[in-house]
Amino acid sequence: MVYPSPPSNITMTTYFIADLHLHEARPAVTRAFYQFLQEQVCAAEALYILGDFFDAWIGDDDDRPLGIEVAQALHDVSTQGTEIFLMHGNRDFLLGENFAARAGATLVKEPLVVDLYGCPTLLLHGDSLCLDDHEYQAFRRQVRSPQWQQQVLAQPLSVRRALAEKIRAESQSMNALKAEDIMDVNDEEVRRVMRAAGVTRLIHGHTHRPARHAFMLEGQPAERVVLGDWHNYGWCIKADGQELTLKNWPIPTA
Amino acid sequence: MITLHTNYGDIVLELDFENAPKTAANFKQYAEEGFYDGTVFHRVIDGFMIQGGGMTEDLEQKPTRAAIENEADNGLKNVTGSVAMARTNDPHSATAQFFINVKDNNFLNHTGKNAQGWGYCVFGKVTAGMEVVNKIKGVKTGTKGYHSDVPVDAVIIEKVTIAE
Repeated sequence: MVYPSPPSNITMTTYFIADLHLHEARPAVTRAFYQFLQEQVCAAEALYILGDFFDAWIGDDDDRPLGIEVAQALHDVSTQGTEIFLMHGNRDFLLGENFAARAGATLVKEPLVVDLYGCPTLLLHGDSLCLDDHEYQAFRRQVRSPQWQQQVLAQPLSVRRALAEKIRAESQSMNALKAEDIMDVNDEEVRRVMRAAGVTRLIHGHTHRPARHAFMLEGQPAERVVLGDWHNYGWCIKADGQELTLKNWPIPTA
Repeated sequence: MITLHTNYGDIVLELDFENAPKTAANFKQYAEEGFYDGTVFHRVIDGFMIQGGGMTEDLEQKPTRAAIENEADNGLKNVTGSVAMARTNDPHSATAQFFINVKDNNFLNHTGKNAQGWGYCVFGKVTAGMEVVNKIKGVKTGTKGYHSDVPVDAVIIEKVTIAE
């Protein structure tokens, strides 16, 4: 007996966000994020968080309330049927399985190609595309190495806190929040990764330059959609069976 | 008594507060808030059920309140004329969308507290207007975007009224 699929209240919608840089010093952004979850993501199929979700992350054992509360908020959304996917950024590359489990989320590695309602789409944080920032790429090679990360995570929490402060003080790339301080992507690298992945659509963040860039790739119309960072505005990409939109809305400062 | 005034006629529902208290209260609250006004029966399958209460005519999902606990273990069955809550694969994910069974859909009943067996919570029944439900179940349907079994001409819940 083949039964019809049962009555489902899930929506065929997928959301993408990145670069929220959640931090205790910016509570308005955290509030805006909770509002976004309740008002927009409700019963969506999936939410992809493409890196720099937290402004800094020194390990899943960090007991700061922000991390715990955000994990709970994500978990509540996941129990309603929304799949949540977390990608590392250049600030929160130490997010681990423990946080993911508490958040009801799945850690995903880049490059990630997803079938977005029939359109194969490449997902990246975006920092790997900024080849012209040599200082940053050297830094990235170090901090993305599993050995380096294991070494750091083996340190006590207090040592990691101090190390994070040191990095913030020394690395310009690590401090950059304004678009003009973050180098933009290298166009050739964009084309190379899209060709390698066999896609005509790329979604990324990191550069804090939200926009939709249309161009030709191998004779086909292609698009690079860039997410904005959350500061005065919240940003997201909403995709469904009919269209993909880059959305933003003001974040109340009070 | 909750009346769904649709463009096909009125459907009167009696909610079962005794056997599905949380679900009935949740549904009544959405009705009182006017949430269902302007929503459609977006998934209609003759010989199965008619489902609605979650989307506008453009198939835009309306933002809901938090999900409610599944009360499908209350003994009520998904028989013809019963009203139940739609949900995702997560047993406790029902929010606002509901459906009216137009057949005895035993496979939707609760058989156990596990992912496969949790079932769909029945929280009321149609006490008048079943002929309207039967008119709706027979409408022409098609595919709209990624949705299938969508009535070609929208079946709209124009207004919902509550009487004690």
